[in-house]
Amino acid sequence: MNKLKVGVVFGSRSTEHDVSIVTAIASIIKPLQLSGEYEPVPIYIDKSGRWYSDPKLKDISLYSSGQISDFLARQKPIQLSLGGGLKIIKPGLKPKAIKLDVVFPATHGTHGEDGELMGLFELADVPYVGCDMPSSVLAMDKALAKIVTSSQNIPTPEFVWFYAADFAADTQAVVKRVAKLHYPLFVKPVHLGSSIGITKVSQKKDLINAIEVAAHYDNKVIVEEAVANLIEVTVPIIGNDKPVAAYVEQPLLNGDDVFDFDTKYMRGGKGKGSKQTGAQGYSTIPANIDRDLYHRSEQLALDVYAELGCTGIARIDLLIDAKTKSVYFNEVNPLPGSLYAHNWRKAGKSGVQLVSELVELALARHEQNRHKTTVFDTNYLKQY
Amino acid sequence: MRQLLSLYSLRFPRIIIYMLQTSEYRAGPYLRWLWRTGDFSRVSKRGSLKLTNYARLLLIGLVVGIFVELAAGVGLIVVGIVDNMAAYWELGISLMIAYPVIMPNLIVLPLEIGRLYIVEPKQKTKISRASAIFASHPGVKIAVAGSYGKTTMKEVLKTVLSEGKTVAATEANHNVAIEHAKFASRLKGDEQILIIEYGEGAPGDVKRFAANTHPTHGVITGLAPAHLNNYKTMAAVAEDIFSIASYLKAKNIYVNGDSDAVKPYLRDSYIVYGSKGVANWRAVNITVSTKGISFKLKRGHTVIDLNSKLIGRHQVGVLSLAAVLAMELGLTDEQIKAGIAKTAPFEHRMQPYELDGALVIDDTYNGNIDGIKAGTQLLSELKANRKIYVTPGLVEQGSQSEAVHKQMGELIAKAKPDIVVLMRNSVTDYILAGLKDGGYHGETRIETDPLGFYNNLSQFVAEGDLVLMQNDWPDNYA
Repeated sequence: MNKLKVGVVFGSRSTEHDVSIVTAIASIIKPLQLSGEYEPVPIYIDKSGRWYSDPKLKDISLYSSGQISDFLARQKPIQLSLGGGLKIIKPGLKPKAIKLDVVFPATHGTHGEDGELMGLFELADVPYVGCDMPSSVLAMDKALAKIVTSSQNIPTPEFVWFYAADFAADTQAVVKRVAKLHYPLFVKPVHLGSSIGITKVSQKKDLINAIEVAAHYDNKVIVEEAVANLIEVTVPIIGNDKPVAAYVEQPLLNGDDVFDFDTKYMRGGKGKGSKQTGAQGYSTIPANIDRDLYHRSEQLALDVYAELGCTGIARIDLLIDAKTKSVYFNEVNPLPGSLYAHNWRKAGKSGVQLVSELVELALARHEQNRHKTTVFDTNYLKQY
Repeated sequence: MRQLLSLYSLRFPRIIIYMLQTSEYRAGPYLRWLWRTGDFSRVSKRGSLKLTNYARLLLIGLVVGIFVELAAGVGLIVVGIVDNMAAYWELGISLMIAYPVIMPNLIVLPLEIGRLYIVEPKQKTKISRASAIFASHPGVKIAVAGSYGKTTMKEVLKTVLSEGKTVAATEANHNVAIEHAKFASRLKGDEQILIIEYGEGAPGDVKRFAANTHPTHGVITGLAPAHLNNYKTMAAVAEDIFSIASYLKAKNIYVNGDSDAVKPYLRDSYIVYGSKGVANWRAVNITVSTKGISFKLKRGHTVIDLNSKLIGRHQVGVLSLAAVLAMELGLTDEQIKAGIAKTAPFEHRMQPYELDGALVIDDTYNGNIDGIKAGTQLLSELKANRKIYVTPGLVEQGSQSEAVHKQMGELIAKAKPDIVVLMRNSVTDYILAGLKDGGYHGETRIETDPLGFYNNLSQFVAEGDLVLMQNDWPDNYA
């Protein structure tokens, strides 16, 4: 039986480069390999944007030991061919071309998850896993996502967004725009995930500093009102036309009501000696909220997924005011770190099942799109 | 080509010593494995050479032997060329090419000589001394024999009887004559009960063990096709195992009635135990769960409530026998209840553990068809999101291999697991045929990398799944 070649693209020029490596190797490549049905082809984009492919790139110790730089120094970057599907070409005396049947993007943040890679795959007409280009662009721009969902009456905290350049040019004008919001506020870079560059601001005097931090990471900044009596929940979803949610999960917040990078990825596990790492050690699944609130959260997440046109996989973050029982949309993560496999496993889907299903969804969407007409005959050129 | 290259790889000597070590340095199994192996690069999949002093010595010996043979070959070629004698250099080349064939066979010679002239005479002396110790020991001596379930029976008896008596038992699966001798040498003489496990492997073993250990009671845990490469027939297995009854003149013999194969050998004087109880004690109200089993042992109006952490209905017989034997040996009901409550699964024998929310039952030390029956029955009794059954099949089934594995496939089909995972080997097709005959409609996966599967089991399971893993094949059976 010929196995489907699945190109797993990870790394890239992003602050979440390292998280992407773990997502790709532990949560995608390994289960794809174990499924027996797919042949994963690792495609690593280094921090300067060069693309590499080699079977050894599937080994996490290459990265954790710091040997990756030496290894890449001995490798030649690959080339891409976009005609008639996506091929990666390994240069050499006799260049070797590998045609990919499906691509599984595993990048987080900029230059990948934000829609750039998806545009490339659309051009190459190759099936790919996860949200398509427009929904990735929307999802990764917190301001755009809020504008679109608000237009469909999906509640979200009051917010203001602006370009970092505008802030640099006229700081007071931006501060004035923010003045309509009620403190405490959250200041965030618009495009970044993993809670990087986020600051909670309780007093006006700290606002400018917080904006400067966010502007350091991104060219666009969003400032939004904090939700009082906060319960933060997140809902992993997969599917195309008929999306399904895993469990509504309640992450542990740090003292500033932020599920930050350190809490998510570094502390890991419940106390000393725990082998668990990442969010799975720092969350409650299912969320410890009443049944009505649980179902409203799940439904709101599914509504956001549909309104933004998400397909394949995404994770919707929500904010709950525990007193008023109001649920607000916060943001979307079109490629959740490690696919949130820990939640799916709890919901009854194994790692192998999850990646297999995601590849199937990618193939189904591609097949569906194939029937769209892309040719329109006219006499337009004849006039010239 | 790959097979040929594997003979001349630098790892070849280590692989040979690994094969010897895995075969427990026994010439027969090692040579059978050696002769049927084509590609030596694929031998060491499940384990690797443990460089003990003995293994290191053998490895050095083998490497030196190879060098001597190569040097002899070079010498013969030089002489042949200098003296223009074709036969010499032809022989030299042959020697150099043939070292992967000659040396791995030659290495068993010193081993066998050592065994015959050094090890065995020493062992005979130790066994003879042990026989005297056992004969003069005043305690009750319970011998545990059978094709399977011996270690569990021994451990359950030890746990329960220890509540009221001083008990000593052979360790783990140390169940052959020399291990019995080591056990005897450690006895203080004041033990009230000795429990001795008999690990049969070839005709006459059990008879010899009984003659050496002088048991007062015998437990026969069941009969199943096992070690048929040596015994050839089930009748020969039965004859050897039931020789313990002859030794005890059919008195104090306890036989597992749940084992269909023992039925032709039952005598009126034997006490039969099983999932229905022991003798006139009946086991009723049996509840099986992933946490353990509970039941009542009832005779007339006397009732004893028993709870154990052991898993599976087939353990009711084992626990009932332990309870009844304990009564006969003078333990109180309270002591028996406490002892039974302490019984828990043993390593790799129906041992449950949690894996990312799934329940895995590790029964990889199970190697017989009755164990498969018990396991598949348990699988059908328990509730789960998905039921996953994993096995490579059974080893040493001799000429009955095809029939046994077809029966195994049918038993698995009857338990209706959602997924059956088989490890690709010589019996896989028989199990598949059995699954088909049993009308199995679930998913079947054939794994070519068993170690990869076991090591990454967490990727295959989700919360609420139940995984039953029965038996495991070391490299020498693959």
